[in-house]
Amino acid sequence: MPERRRLLHRINWPGLSTIALAFLLWEMLLRAGFAQYQNLPAPSAIAGGLVEIAASGQLLTDTLHTLRSVLVGWGAALVAGIVLGLLLGVSRTLRRYCLASIEVLRPMPGIAFAPVALLLFGFSLQMELMVIILPALWPVLINTMGAVMGVHARLFEVGRTFRLSRGEILRKIMLPAALPGVLVGARLSLTLALVLAIVAEMVGNPAGLGYAVVREQQAMRPELVFAYVVAIGALGVILNEVLTGAVARLFPAASGRLREAA
Amino acid sequence: MRSSPTGRRWAGQLRTMLASLPPARGLLPLVLLLVAWQLIQGGPSPYFPGPAQWWKATEALFDREHLLAAFGATTATFLEGLALAIVLGTALGVLVGISRAAARALQPLLEFMRAIPPPVTVPVATLLIGYGTGMKLTVVVLSGLWPILLNAASAVRQIDPLLLDVAHSFRLTAWQRMNRIILPAIVPSLLIGIRIAIPLAIVVTLLVEMLTSLPGIGALMIRSQRNYQSSEVYALLVLVGLFGFVVNDLFAVVEGVIMRRWPPRE
Repeated sequence: MPERRRLLHRINWPGLSTIALAFLLWEMLLRAGFAQYQNLPAPSAIAGGLVEIAASGQLLTDTLHTLRSVLVGWGAALVAGIVLGLLLGVSRTLRRYCLASIEVLRPMPGIAFAPVALLLFGFSLQMELMVIILPALWPVLINTMGAVMGVHARLFEVGRTFRLSRGEILRKIMLPAALPGVLVGARLSLTLALVLAIVAEMVGNPAGLGYAVVREQQAMRPELVFAYVVAIGALGVILNEVLTGAVARLFPAASGRLREAA
Repeated sequence: MRSSPTGRRWAGQLRTMLASLPPARGLLPLVLLLVAWQLIQGGPSPYFPGPAQWWKATEALFDREHLLAAFGATTATFLEGLALAIVLGTALGVLVGISRAAARALQPLLEFMRAIPPPVTVPVATLLIGYGTGMKLTVVVLSGLWPILLNAASAVRQIDPLLLDVAHSFRLTAWQRMNRIILPAIVPSLLIGIRIAIPLAIVVTLLVEMLTSLPGIGALMIRSQRNYQSSEVYALLVLVGLFGFVVNDLFAVVEGVIMRRWPPRE
């Protein structure tokens, strides 16, 4: 019972009522004819739009496409970023001969890859993945490298004292010590992957939620545009919550840093 | 001529930043890649034109497409949008953060606004405002606003209440309180917010140009791609990369100077 009371207490009631009030005001202003924006739909129309795309199955198709691209692209960026980050974190020579190249490539805006990806792959899923993976790689790589470099030297000495092999040192000492940093990078990269998937779908691959927003805008269906915007925002919130929740459950020790990094 | 203290501070900051850059031999892999590319595929190609072709394409763009004007338009939109986002974000963030009740009431709404990926604002703004420079600026401001606003608000909430009490007993005016107590205390958080906002603002600036063909580098990129001018596409990719690099490093210098002027308090 106290569990449930605490939950009730934790819910931000003023915050929720502010949102409700804002919607109510928006609806009333439109109904009364005060706001003269031609293409601004009322919240009730947006809710209707959401029901419409949910009922037709379009929302599910579009969401699944975007979700799949985000997860595949993020997964690839994670694997590549962690491997490269580990190598760079361990080897000073490698850092010396690569770091400047990374610093030049890293600030490149992700969207700049879209035209090249279109050139190489046309309007396809590969194009979308290229636009997601290249920019989403950097946060993982940089955070993994930094975390490995931050592992205390004494920990390695301990490993050697126990005569652990290199593989064991990697698995039992380095990875656990670097984990919080890696997770921070993974979270930043997930947010970025969603943004880039939407961008790639807007300018390139004609599928998914990003394309749906542009499609409905060109079809002059404002209520559907807003419905998709709500759906995209919700997807962002859900992805983020699932990741932080999973981390808190799987690696409780590492989850504090993750929340701070938000 | 004697350089002013401010000038010296900037020069000093520039020097420390240059010294902290990774060694230049780290550029080796990038240079090797470009040289190998040029040797294997130096001529024109629909997919992988050699780097020498990119250079030729840059020159052609310069003569034919008014590259400088496009760069100017993109840079102006980005800088104006970012500046407005900083001013608005700081002002609104302080207003939200100064009252605990207001902060708690607005938090979920603001968090949801931040959760919406900024590129989505482009079609929405097209719908509501239509094509034009006003719309271009609006979406860039909106893309950078939320991280700055939320960082400012949370920093204001973390100011020691004692400091505000002191301001009260000294009967400082609202303006003095803002200038002497609140702003100095939130500077480090503001800088973090701006650092998050910069790449978002660049992406949205380029995206809005790509989607609406308003003049700028984004429009040039998408047109080159549609005309299958592959060397132009690569040339513009390099130019945009340089733009990102310069913006990033300039901000690091600015950040260093500001942090030295207002060091974070513990």
